[in-house]
Amino acid sequence: MVHYIGVILDESRYEQIKGTPIEEKVQSIFGGTLKMLVVEVPEDKSEQILKAFDRARIDSRGFIEDVPVAFRRAVFEEIVKNKSLDIIDKVLERLPEIQELAKKEDEYIPPPEIE
Amino acid sequence: MAKLNIPPPHGGELVYRVIGKKDYAESMAAGAIEFDLKPTTLPDGTPIRHVYREIMSVCYGFFSPVEGSMTSTDLEGVLKERRLESGWVFPYPILLDASEEDIKAADIKEGDRLLLKLKGEPFAVMDVEEIYKINPEEVAVRTFGTPEDNPEVVREPFNEKHPGYMIYKMMNDHVIAGKWTIVNPPKFREPYDRFWLPPAECRTVIKYVKKWRTCIAHQTRNVPHTGHEALMKNAAYTGDIEPCHGILVNAIIGAKRRGDYPNEAILEGHEAVNKYGYIKPSRHMVTFTLWDMRYGNPIESLLHGVIRQNMGCTHHMFGRDHAAVGEYYDKYATQILWSEGIPSFGFEAPPNEVEKGLKIIPQNMAEFWYCPVCGEIAYSESCGHVDKKQKFSGSFLRGMVAEGVMPPKVVMRPEVYKAIVKWWKVFNYPFVNKKYLENLNANLEVDLAPMEIPKA
Ligand SMILES: [Zn+2]
Repeated sequence: MVHYIGVILDESRYEQIKGTPIEEKVQSIFGGTLKMLVVEVPEDKSEQILKAFDRARIDSRGFIEDVPVAFRRAVFEEIVKNKSLDIIDKVLERLPEIQELAKKEDEYIPPPEIE
Repeated sequence: MAKLNIPPPHGGELVYRVIGKKDYAESMAAGAIEFDLKPTTLPDGTPIRHVYREIMSVCYGFFSPVEGSMTSTDLEGVLKERRLESGWVFPYPILLDASEEDIKAADIKEGDRLLLKLKGEPFAVMDVEEIYKINPEEVAVRTFGTPEDNPEVVREPFNEKHPGYMIYKMMNDHVIAGKWTIVNPPKFREPYDRFWLPPAECRTVIKYVKKWRTCIAHQTRNVPHTGHEALMKNAAYTGDIEPCHGILVNAIIGAKRRGDYPNEAILEGHEAVNKYGYIKPSRHMVTFTLWDMRYGNPIESLLHGVIRQNMGCTHHMFGRDHAAVGEYYDKYATQILWSEGIPSFGFEAPPNEVEKGLKIIPQNMAEFWYCPVCGEIAYSESCGHVDKKQKFSGSFLRGMVAEGVMPPKVVMRPEVYKAIVKWWKVFNYPFVNKKYLENLNANLEVDLAPMEIPKA
């Protein structure tokens, strides 16, 4: 079974893919209030991800969730760099580096500046 | 249909075993054998349960008619057919477990009075009715059931990955049975104190302040998204001659796991739903119960029924995968219990149709999702655009929160999100992490005033 990784696009992320071939792959959900890219992950690779992060899980929609922020960032970076959604192998190559970053994430994630 | 009214407490009478008056409390505790309450832990030392939460819930009447740590007869009745010796339905073993060494060291015998201490201070007393041995693993297995013995709903054998199973499996192999009385009522810290509404007071508030004749309970251990809000609003259309007057949110507060939302954000997130008018406060109220969640799906739903009936609710909403983790139970196990019963667990009929059963009425609900065609949050049994559905996913939202993206208000109300961020700033983290756990496990939810007990 294929699993998925959803990459949320806020304004600044959307700017980075605007005008690239990726733009037409953007999905709009929840009444157009949220933009997202969906990366397909073959089962053997999703297993690799589940193994790398102890809290990662597949949710009822088949999406890989509860992964570190560093992992999601890497997925987006590779999408931008390669102008493609077929990037999961490139992300997996960076796994050791992402795992290092994820460790720090257990201690601190900067809170957003909102009032 | 006749008009409904607040049901009687389960068992007929609300338990209230709390002594606030110092003189009486001291005289009750004088000369008792001191016994320190300890958490139940995993082999690696991680706390997964603290019996103080059960003592609080028993003594303040949430678990009426249970009055203390169960005798061997009560335990066997609960494991065999979910009935106390008195015949009243009750789902889970409530036990003060202790090691043989601790019992010997304190020289505890049947007939003794114990002074149970929490965080180094006197907390509760109990008269020891019975001391008996258990096989914790057997208690764990029988509490949750097996595919062989409970083929109606159990799909996989329970194992060490199941948090509730581990709570029983890791217990000490002796039980000290007897009724508990709190003699030094703990003080809840902010913000718990604002949401602490034990059954007697909750019933009074429902009756005389909110003036609700009917009230539906909502179980939670999560910060609410609009899917939860839609569930609450729509489930509340049940009632009698009109929709339920009130919605009682009751959060289960207890042992936490990494990645959960902090208790503080859960309570204030739900509060934001009424504070900012999404369901107005005259119709919606947030409370909590102390309990280390056992994730027992149908078994847990029985406890939820007991708690919320005692708090004064006429109805209880039950969803798919109610209080579930993993694939141990059928997705609809709770709804099967409340619609036809589960004979192997002692229910030939639903729990509200058996003798000495519950009076609370189930409202079994299916799913809500966002439908782009309907352009609204739709009910799965109404919306025909199944292939277009956009499901709410708690973990999807957690991912968004962690990335610092404010969820769109169609998915999460901005004020609910702000409650998350408020506590994020306090804990430097949006979810439960190691530091939060260390702090919670060391300090619990309460503080106890120093109390001098006169020697006998
Ligand atoms: Zn629809």
